[in-house]
Order: sequence, then C-alpha cells, then structure tokens
Amino acid sequence: MRRETERDARCGMRDAALPFLTRLVRVVRRIIGAPDYQAYLEHCRSAGHAPTLGEREYVAQFFESKGRGVRCC
Amino acid sequence: MQPLASLLVWSGISVLGAAAFGVLALSRGETVNAAWLLTAAVCTYAVGYRFYSKFLASRVFGLDDRRATPAERFNNGRDFVPTNKWVLFGHHFAAIAGAGPLVGPVLAAQFGFLPGTLWLVIGVVLGGAVQDFVILFCSLRRDGKSLGQMAKEEVNPAAGATAMLAVLFIMIILLAVLALIVVNALKASPWGLFTIACTIPIALLMGWWMKRWRPGSVGEASAVGAVLLLGALVAGGWVAGQPHLAPLFTHSATALTWMMMGYGFIASVLPVWMLLCPRDYLSTFLKITTILVLAIAILVILPPLRMPALTPFASLGEGPVFAGKLFPFAFITIACGAISGFHALVASGTTPKMIARESDARLIGYGGMLMESFVGVMAMIAACTLEPGVYFAMNTTPAALAQASQVLGQAGFVVTPEFMRELAARMGETTLLARSGGAPSLAVGIAQIFAGATSVLGGKTLDALWYHFAIMFEALFILTTIDTGTRVGRFMLQEIVGHVWPRFAETSWYPSVIASSALVVAGWGYFLYQGVVDPLGGINSLWPLFGISNQLLAAVALCVGTTILIKMGRGRFAWVTATPLAWLVIVTMTAGWQKVFSADPRLGFLAHAASLAGSANPDTARLIFNDRLNTFVALLFMTIVTVLIVTSLREWWLVLSRRKTAVVHEAPYVETGYATGD
Repeated sequence: MRRETERDARCGMRDAALPFLTRLVRVVRRIIGAPDYQAYLEHCRSAGHAPTLGEREYVAQFFESKGRGVRCC
Repeated sequence: MQPLASLLVWSGISVLGAAAFGVLALSRGETVNAAWLLTAAVCTYAVGYRFYSKFLASRVFGLDDRRATPAERFNNGRDFVPTNKWVLFGHHFAAIAGAGPLVGPVLAAQFGFLPGTLWLVIGVVLGGAVQDFVILFCSLRRDGKSLGQMAKEEVNPAAGATAMLAVLFIMIILLAVLALIVVNALKASPWGLFTIACTIPIALLMGWWMKRWRPGSVGEASAVGAVLLLGALVAGGWVAGQPHLAPLFTHSATALTWMMMGYGFIASVLPVWMLLCPRDYLSTFLKITTILVLAIAILVILPPLRMPALTPFASLGEGPVFAGKLFPFAFITIACGAISGFHALVASGTTPKMIARESDARLIGYGGMLMESFVGVMAMIAACTLEPGVYFAMNTTPAALAQASQVLGQAGFVVTPEFMRELAARMGETTLLARSGGAPSLAVGIAQIFAGATSVLGGKTLDALWYHFAIMFEALFILTTIDTGTRVGRFMLQEIVGHVWPRFAETSWYPSVIASSALVVAGWGYFLYQGVVDPLGGINSLWPLFGISNQLLAAVALCVGTTILIKMGRGRFAWVTATPLAWLVIVTMTAGWQKVFSADPRLGFLAHAASLAGSANPDTARLIFNDRLNTFVALLFMTIVTVLIVTSLREWWLVLSRRKTAVVHEAPYVETGYATGD
C-alpha cells in the first residue's frame, strides 16, 4: 500500500488531524472549484505570514478568477 | 504484483478486450449487447493507461518528482494550490467534460455503432489523451502558461497570434453549435423551457447566497439550488399540462434564438458571481452525478444495441443526419471523447497550477481524457439502444428524411407515425420528429435506460420525467459553456482590440465590456440563426464546421507539443505527437476541402449555393450568403492551421539540422521542498 507522504498531507486531503466530514467537504470544494477560505488561512499559517485577504475579498477574487477559466464543449 | 502474475493479468485483459472487439466487428444482422462495447472500451483504456501513458511519462517526458511544480513554488492558497491527484482528477474532468462527448457520438451513430466506437477508443488512447497529457506537461514546466503563450515562445510570435485568433474563431462556432442544440431541444417544449428558465432565478438566488449572505458557502447554496431545480423539473410537467400557462413557455426556434442571444449577452456583462459561478456549480454537480448514475444504470441493465454495426450511410455518404462518408466525417463528428483541441485550453489553464507532483500529470492529463472517452461510449450506447427508425426520425428534418427514405426503407429503418406520436406522448412532448442536434435523441435513450434501471429495481418508470431530466442536464451545462465561452471570447476580443486602443482592454470599463460582449454574441448569434433557419436543420452545416475547428485546435496543440519535444532533445519520441497530428491534418483538411468544394449540394457549401441560384424562394439570397460565409470560415480555419504547421515544420527542420540552437523556455529547475521520497 502507498505510504502517506508529507506532500499528500500538504495537499490537505489526507490530514488525519481533520475530522472526516471536514476532509470530505474540502475534497468536494476542490473538485467543483469552490472557494475554501479555511484552507487559505491554513496556507497563510504554514507559510508564516498573516492573511492579506478577508473572507469577502478572498471569495470575490476567487469568483473573479473562476470567471476567466474556460469550460470545455 | 509479481512479474508473472502481472503478465498473466495484463495478457488476460488484452485477450478479453480483443475478444470483445471481435464480437462487435463480426456481429451481422443480430443485436449486440452493450456489455461487449463496454468491455472492449474498458480493456483498451486499461492497457493504454498501464503501458502507453507510463511510457510517455517516464521515457518521453521524463517526469521528475524531485522538481517543484508551479503549485508548490507559487502556492498562494488561491490559484496555485498543491492538490491531491484524485481530487484534481475530478476537478479536471469536470472542466473538460461538456456536451461534446455526449452529442458527437449520438450524431455519428448514423454510421452504425462500430466506427464511432473504434474512433472513440483508439483515438483517445493514441491521440486525445496524448494531447491533453503533453500540453499539461508543457504548461507544468512553464509555470502554468497558456497554449497561446507557449506557441508564441516555443514556435514563434506569429504562431502565438495565430493560435489566439484560432481560439477566438473556434469559440464563436462552438457557441453557435451548442446554442443550436439547446434551441432544437427546447423548441415547442413548454416543460423543457420552463425548467431551464427556472435555472436563471435559481442561479441568481445562489449567487446572492454565496457572495452576499454567506460568503463562500457554495455547498449550502448548491444544495438549495439542486432542490429548487428538481422542484422546477416536476413543476414543468404541471405547467405543460395547463392550457393557460403552457403557451407562455411554447416558442419557435427563431424566438428561442433571440432569447439565447439576450441571455448570453446578459451573462457576459453581469458580475461573474451573480449568474456564471452559481450556474457552473449547479451544472458541475448535476453533470458528475448524472454521468455516474448513467454508468451504473448501463451496467445494471446492459441494454441491447438496436443500431447495426454499420449502416449504409457509412459508404454512401448521403446520411440524413449530416452528409458525408465515414472518412473523414466520423472523425470530425466525434471530437470531444476522442480528441478535442479545446482540452488544451483547460490543460494549460487552471489544472497545471494545482498539480502537487509531476507524476500526477499522468493520471490527470491522460486518465482524465480516458474518462471523457468513456462518457462518449456511454452516449453511443444510449443512442444505439433506440430503434434506428426512431433515431433517424428524430435527428432528421422532413426534407432530409424524404431524400433518404429509399435507403432507410431498404435498411429496415422505418417507424410509423403512430409509434412516434406514442413515444412523444410517453416523453411528455407534442412531437419528437425533426429534433436534430442529438440532445433529444440522447435524452430518449437516457430516459429508456433510467426507466429500465428503475424497473429492475422495482421502481416506477417515469419516462417523461427522466426525459426532461436528461434535457435539463444537457441544456444546463451547455448554457454554462455559453456563459463562460461568451465571457472568455469577450476578454480575448478586448485584449486584441486593446493592442490598438489600450482603453478597450480594461475589463472593468463598461463601454468596452458592453461593446465586446455584443460583438461576440452577434458573432455566434448569427451562425445560430443561420442554423435555425437552414432547411436541412443547421447541424448538417454547423456541426462539421465545429468538428473541423476543434480538431484544428488540437492540431495547433500537437504542433506546440511536438516542437517542445524536439527542442528538449527528445526528437526520437516526436512521433507520439506527430502521428496524431498527421492524422488530424489529413482528416480535417479532407473534410474542410469536401465541405467547401464537393459537387454534392448536400455536402459542399459552394455546390449548395450554386444549386439555389435562380430559385423562387424569397430566402435564396440569404441562404447563398450563408453558404459563402461558411466557405470563408472553413477556408480561414484551414489557412490558419496551414500557417502554423508550416512555421512549426520550419522550426523543427532548423533545430534538427542544427541550423538553430534549440532554446527551451522551461522554468528553471527548483528542487521540491518536500521530504525526499515524497
């Protein structure tokens, strides 16, 4: 069986410290391309800097960026 | 796995796949169970993924997990985010899967189930999945750059500009064809139109919910949206039965065309969170769920295929759905599902910015495309479970049906008017005749499969509800593509005009937003209108144009991929991209040539225009103009790709003959910060 690695843990999906439901919600969010402010805050914590965006700003920027992507035929 | 056990397992899979292909190819005159088709496809995908994609990953591309990906280097918690490969597989698949793999195989079923299936299965393993994988790999090594940027840097600036123009023109044709499918599915269908109309206020409510009321609460908003959507679906049946309400939602194709154009314009101008994003979430949920349920339903009931392996239209070239022989038209009718240039835009868009390790690109790029092909195979099964007579009656205009009546009669593809009336009543429609575009016939196939599955499970068969569910499912994600496509087309137009008028490039300057949106909508709206009023149904002329343009974009992507492989010093492996490229060039140039210059008026635009000359029909001048416009568009696509191929060939020659030093614009190597062995 494939061992769990640091990189997998950083991907936020295999973090055993998180409750199952939280992990599931996070997986679904990533699949459908939904904003995840908690993941952004965790990223800022692990990167060692304070968050530069509030939740509303983060969501607004995320949606704006999503609007520039293409959906295939 | 032990080497011997591995050898035995993979030999078994290969033999099983070959046997399934044998059954499909040798069956004549009797119905074949869909299980054989599924077995052949799945075994081929398994062998292709296990061996060919591994060869591409290790020998051709040299994927290196010690190299930091853009997601790791630029991680900002928003666009660049290292993501688990299975999650990203789902995300990438949701972005590449659209109406194409569902509609193309349905249309190609006029040749029988075999040609389309072979192209879907073989084309994806050797072409489509390779294209997606190579572009994903190239973008991954270039900080997530787009196809146009890579063409500009790796081939030359003219190639970059050509690729950008090609994308814009292709987008216009693509949106027109997709809109035509929706119009044909919703014309004179109050149930369908009511349900789809309800998605607009539902999306607005969801947008307000997740932007203003509870920022980022996509799950909650989507759950509410899904419940409301199902409510609208059920209510649609009631509305269609009300004498005072039904006429409000019963419209002609022409009226629906204007509504679609108005909708596309508004969706492009409104803030993205208001309509585009919520609709996108809703359609993504619906798409993934329906595809999973369809796969399970097909596996549960394993329906027999009523369409023969080959129909007379494969060699005659006078098919009532669209004109042209099996070669080259089967290969451009099925684009998404076998090979689709549009995927190169996704593979060089969001996906490369989220890959955690280079080796994940194999599952996401190659594997994601195999999954898309599987969706195409399911669509082929759904279409081929219909009685051939029903299939042709639904997908053909009365004029084309009359022309093909002799061949249809000889082949036994007949259906009585009473049967069609009874079928339409069962599906909750007034008529199912001449519903060209593929969506309604796919919806009938899906409805029959779902109804069959619920019968097996002891449930009630609800044909009409399933039919309208399938229509809603197709229309919803086609409209999502129209939203995003119009918007992206608008951005491209603003960027192009911005080179001569910088203010126009400001995406927040409303005069520019309105003018560019109106121009893009007018572009696809014109082709849509042309398709709607076309006596042959529109699909006959527009779908081949879309197929040619999409495959030519794939040729652009493969040109870029081949150039990069040669510059990387891997010229001995250039055949992996050059072979599908050569095939696509042969197919698309032949198809383009025939569409323009064929002497058959049903096939050639110019011959059709000549046949109309002197006609008393008041629309003659407009029809002739449309034929000439289509000729221009086809020749333009062919010219654009010829320019790109010639410039690429020159670049390959210069590099291979050492007349020019190969400069690869890869991002510098940075070792991953993750622990060794990750």
